[in-house]
Amino acid sequence: MQSSIRAKRQSAWHMLASEYGDSTLNEQGSGEFDPLFVITKLGAKVNRLVVAGLLERLEPRETNSGATIWQGQIRDPSGIHYFSVGDYAAESMRELTLQLAARTDDGETLMIMMTAKAKFFQNEEGAVYTSLRPEEAAIIPGSAYRQWLVKASNDMLERMDYQQKSLSLEKTVEALAKEGIPEHLRSGLLLANAHYGEIDLESYRLNIMQALDIAEGKTYSAPPKQTTVVDNSQEKSEENDSSGEETKDGSDDLKKIMMDLIAKLDQGEGVDFNSLLSNAAARGHDRDLAEEALDELSAEGSVFEQRFGWFKQTS
Amino acid sequence: MTSEYDIHVQEVIKQVPDADPVKVAEAFGRYEKDFLIPPEDAMRSVLRRFLSDKGVMPTKSGSSGSSGSRPAIPVKKVSSFSELSSDDKNVEIEVEIITHNPRTTMVRGEEKIVPYGLLEDNPWPDKGGERTRWEFKDWGNHSNVTPGAIVRLEGVSVNEYQGRMSLNINQSSRIAVLREGTRVVTTPGEPVEINTITSEGSVTVVGRLLASRKDQIHRKDGSGSIDVVRGRIADDSGAIGFLSWESFDHEVGSLIKIENAQVRTFRDTPEINIGSSTKIEIYHDANFSTADDLAAQSISKIEDLRDGSRDVDIVVEVQKMTKRTFTNADGEEKSVWSGDIADPTGRCRCSIWSEPPFDIDSTPIVMRLRSVRVRAWQGIPDITIDDVSQIELLAATPWGDDIDLSTNVVEVPLHDLVSGASRVGISTSGFIVSVREDSGIISRCSECRRVLRNGECSVPSCSSYEGVDDVRLRMVLDDGIGSLSLLVNKIAATDLLSMDEEKITKEIEENGSMAFVQQIRELLLGRKMKVSGRTFVDEQGSMLISDAVELLESDSALDASELRTKWELV
Repeated sequence: MQSSIRAKRQSAWHMLASEYGDSTLNEQGSGEFDPLFVITKLGAKVNRLVVAGLLERLEPRETNSGATIWQGQIRDPSGIHYFSVGDYAAESMRELTLQLAARTDDGETLMIMMTAKAKFFQNEEGAVYTSLRPEEAAIIPGSAYRQWLVKASNDMLERMDYQQKSLSLEKTVEALAKEGIPEHLRSGLLLANAHYGEIDLESYRLNIMQALDIAEGKTYSAPPKQTTVVDNSQEKSEENDSSGEETKDGSDDLKKIMMDLIAKLDQGEGVDFNSLLSNAAARGHDRDLAEEALDELSAEGSVFEQRFGWFKQTS
Repeated sequence: MTSEYDIHVQEVIKQVPDADPVKVAEAFGRYEKDFLIPPEDAMRSVLRRFLSDKGVMPTKSGSSGSSGSRPAIPVKKVSSFSELSSDDKNVEIEVEIITHNPRTTMVRGEEKIVPYGLLEDNPWPDKGGERTRWEFKDWGNHSNVTPGAIVRLEGVSVNEYQGRMSLNINQSSRIAVLREGTRVVTTPGEPVEINTITSEGSVTVVGRLLASRKDQIHRKDGSGSIDVVRGRIADDSGAIGFLSWESFDHEVGSLIKIENAQVRTFRDTPEINIGSSTKIEIYHDANFSTADDLAAQSISKIEDLRDGSRDVDIVVEVQKMTKRTFTNADGEEKSVWSGDIADPTGRCRCSIWSEPPFDIDSTPIVMRLRSVRVRAWQGIPDITIDDVSQIELLAATPWGDDIDLSTNVVEVPLHDLVSGASRVGISTSGFIVSVREDSGIISRCSECRRVLRNGECSVPSCSSYEGVDDVRLRMVLDDGIGSLSLLVNKIAATDLLSMDEEKITKEIEENGSMAFVQQIRELLLGRKMKVSGRTFVDEQGSMLISDAVELLESDSALDASELRTKWELV
């Protein structure tokens, strides 16, 4: 290439796993060094991310060419980021990967912060896989994780707000600018609105509430599928909290809340037990009490189990 | 008629062999001059006329109804000029408008504006690709064709004249703005506010003359000199320097209208050039601000200073000044007094070329500087004072005693630092998104302080040097919109890590530099930091050389509750 102008470094987005993982749109220029962008439903044009969470899995995999790729997962309250570290990664990242793998194998629970580039893959059937290519990572204390959760939540809330605002506006950059939508979101929002159409923000609100719960040191609501690992600092606060402001007196309120939740989350098939309790927990309610309330609701016939573990309001 | 229409005339003759070429050319001429329709688009109408003269109508009737004057040419959608040939019409292409010059043409006693300028294909900077530049004429004078804008042109046609290709934007062409232009288009002849003058081109301003002096420009080839007049004019929005190549004898304080002057950028500073085509007349407006008011308003601030600024009036506080004596090329001994100066918007440097009218050891000193010029060195503005008459000492600062400039640091959003000029005495905050692997102990050249690479200094004049150890962290700070390279010096680094140089050296010797870098990442990666220092911005990117850095710890529980309240999350 003749051009001596250096490509501008892409800025990093602090982003929860759900927003990134939901993306099915990408943008890539035709040039060899053109950056790839994954465009999220909320209009973030992501090339680089700052993610954090629990390191859940880190395993080597042999590729066809005989090289080893390490594949791993980071869990935050909204879901999972998938990443892979191959030969192309920086030496320090590869070295760290080996150390992290050894420590997770020993059963250690590690909280990590990672900066990574976005990866986007679409197979022949059209299924989209987003993942991360780590640049740098580090083991972090709970306090750093909680600060990251607040930052990621704040940014996501802002994006949700701008996304909602953008819906009623003319689909031009100028119209978005006029309404005060920041420059770095404008083109992404236009692409996202055209591609994703109407989106449901309720699940994102729940993700954020769960993230804020952790930041506030409230009950850690266990992830839906795996309940074994809990960050130490949160375990302590769990003991304090579960001593319970929730008493039996509040059970009628809780029942109403559970009814609301079921109404909100029901996409037609009912709501599964686990997400129902996680969401109640995200709103600051004790899991056991929420389960009790659900039992009561079933007993009195307000809700029924359409199939085992899936709840629906009786209409 | 001119040969400009030869191709088109031949095209008509091909279809109507017995038409008179002179008349056909005349017809094209009338379409272009009277109706502003370029020959390509007039083709069909001209053809129709000569065919109907003969009593035959065109055979293929592509369009129907009253709008039949538009031929139904299929849309040719291309992404670069190279795909176009000289007879393409109804073209669709995305381009960036580079320049835009409105030109007034008289059409049947009426003034019409037909802007012309340059545009480039492959307009998206992130998509790369070679850009080609073509000329265009906008026959429709579309308001959304603005310099700097990226637009999709629909229904434009290609013109080839003497082997040069250009685009005609027709009256019926559609223009969709994909990215707004950064510059505003103004109608020629309409005065603009002085502070909106940023780009090169023709301009008309109304302003009051603040300064004017005769000057000479020496031809580089030594063939003599040209008499010019330099000065400064202002309106309520700001002031700008001018350079007149013509005689200019208006008195300071007079209100003038300068019509059709050219804007040239000298270094980073725009300047009005008055030439032979410029018209200057006395302007009458009783409400226009007085010269005194304007002079008071046009006092610069350090944050406004750009390389190449001239006739700058500014009030600054001298914080430190040193005298340097040297021998010039003629063997004369000369002195220059240079120092650090500040105002509430930032800090920079100044150089005084004659004995200053104050004791350089009794700083801080407040001075008003008149008609000084600005050079920049390593991106930092340096005010040049050629003569002591430009200095007026003040007893007190105009900004009051509340601001202590020796410690004053101006807070600037990170993404503004990335795109702006280099600044001194600023602070900003962002998130650490990278800790570079060369952070830690580095070895500097004992002569020039540059970092040694493989034990070698890249400066040829450094001969007998040795490596001197120093501590430096190299990171990337990012605020989600922009990012810059952050350098942390020894004092700030040892403070931040709570380790002295000895301990860092020991740590690296024992565990290796990678483990040391990893240790910093554990502390800083993804974390918010506040940094202060100076920036250095050039085409390679932006760099912040910090003298103080601070990890911003926040109370997550409190922040989270605040978020819940703000967004009503319950």
